[in-house]
Amino acid sequence: MHQQQKSGTDPSVEFIDVGVTKLSPAGTSMVILERISFTARQGEITGIIGASGSGKSTLIRLCNRLDDPSAGTIALNGQNIATIDPLLLRRKIAMVLQKPFMFEGTLLENLQRPFLFRKLAPPSAGSLEITRVLDLVQLPAEMLDRDARSLSGGEQQRVNLARALVNHPEVLLLDEPTSALDRPSTARLASTLSNICQSEHLSIIVVTHDLYLAEHIVNHLIYLEAGRIVEQGVGPQMLAKPQTTAFSNFLAKPEKSSS
Amino acid sequence: MNTPHIIPLDVIQLVYAYALILLSLALARWQQIGHEKQLLWSSMRMVVQLIAVGYLLHLVFAINSPLPVVLMLLAMAGFSLQVAGSRIKKRMPNFYRVVGSSIIIGCGGVTFYFCLVVIGYSPWFDPRYLIPLAGMIFGNAMNGASLAAERLSSEMHERREEIECALSLGATSRQSAGEAIRNAYSAALRPTINTMAATGIVALPGMMTGQILSGTEPIIAVRYQIAILCAITGAVAVTSFLIVQQGYRRFFTEAHQLKKE
Repeated sequence: MHQQQKSGTDPSVEFIDVGVTKLSPAGTSMVILERISFTARQGEITGIIGASGSGKSTLIRLCNRLDDPSAGTIALNGQNIATIDPLLLRRKIAMVLQKPFMFEGTLLENLQRPFLFRKLAPPSAGSLEITRVLDLVQLPAEMLDRDARSLSGGEQQRVNLARALVNHPEVLLLDEPTSALDRPSTARLASTLSNICQSEHLSIIVVTHDLYLAEHIVNHLIYLEAGRIVEQGVGPQMLAKPQTTAFSNFLAKPEKSSS
Repeated sequence: MNTPHIIPLDVIQLVYAYALILLSLALARWQQIGHEKQLLWSSMRMVVQLIAVGYLLHLVFAINSPLPVVLMLLAMAGFSLQVAGSRIKKRMPNFYRVVGSSIIIGCGGVTFYFCLVVIGYSPWFDPRYLIPLAGMIFGNAMNGASLAAERLSSEMHERREEIECALSLGATSRQSAGEAIRNAYSAALRPTINTMAATGIVALPGMMTGQILSGTEPIIAVRYQIAILCAITGAVAVTSFLIVQQGYRRFFTEAHQLKKE
């Protein structure tokens, strides 16, 4: 069942009939995503849930053009992203990858990286830019001198998030942000994401198979199976009253449900 | 100093020399390392290839025209490319185009600079100079080319997460692959740097030894050796530089996307 969410907020990212087809090693054509249409709005969190192999990660990689679709259009504030310079696009649409990656050096040096990529002078530890993102992800300034690779999984995930926010993005993409976190860390991250979404008026798109995020922070929920949207709607309502057997089955066994 | 005549080797003397291969074969068999056939096959190939090259050089020297010399240089470049390709298990995209053009520009450029500007002989195609000098330059640059290409492929594979993380933060392809490019270039240059540092202490280089055996004054032979080592370093540096600079681009699309493996 497809039921597009209506909201008073502005559309930020729109998927219009997006499809991805790939060639298998045997040379046959494989459909990874098929006729995907949805709208992610500013100030809202859109959750993409589904079992492993359902196409969630492929979908999110299309948003900042780490990959391109085979069919359809993706628009950012009404403009086809294929017409936007990919380097500029990736500053507007930031992405936090599934596995936190720390560049060699301190936490501060990791936060300075995006500035170096843009050939700008890196901000100092006490600068507004650095204190802003540290506050957003609730990391203490005393940690700035620590070796980034020595931080815990939860701390690294926060650094990843802070680093993605230094470019003042309009959209934030998160690929399975809680996959390496325990429940208390997941709850803290969920609260952080919710606060960031409101304070920065961002559109957040989060891919997950963790129902905790879907239950607690997601406004617009999309259930994906075998590359197709099976159900989408308002998060809490969808979880309380699934409209399809496939989604009911996934909710019953979210980790084991196959695509 | 009068130039002494080098002692010519006849077939009997070569048979005595080949006895050392037979000794190696016996030792390999005794130790049961299982490489006897390879040892025998390689030694026979070496003999046949060198005799063939000897006759070919004799012919090229006799013709004394630029065409056969240039053809021979192109053949050497082709073999360098083929050997470099066969050594690498995981080749970068467009391997032969990238490495081939780099060898031709890097080695060809350095060889002609070395022959025409540094040595300054005439005519430019004199096979007595051009062929052995080009052989040494191409042979050494081939090792650097293999190392650069192989290391770049493995670095790009191992650093996929790092590269995609950088791309997601707005880095260009060049910025995201910076570490992989630096490591590949460093790996290509290291053996040449080590060779220069060890030359004259750990080993006497083949060209210098050959010149001294032919009766060249050692001081002249040393000068040639210094010059050729400079040329080899330059050729390895330019060829490897061209490989990594052209090569990393093949892993990305125009939209700064890392291609699928």
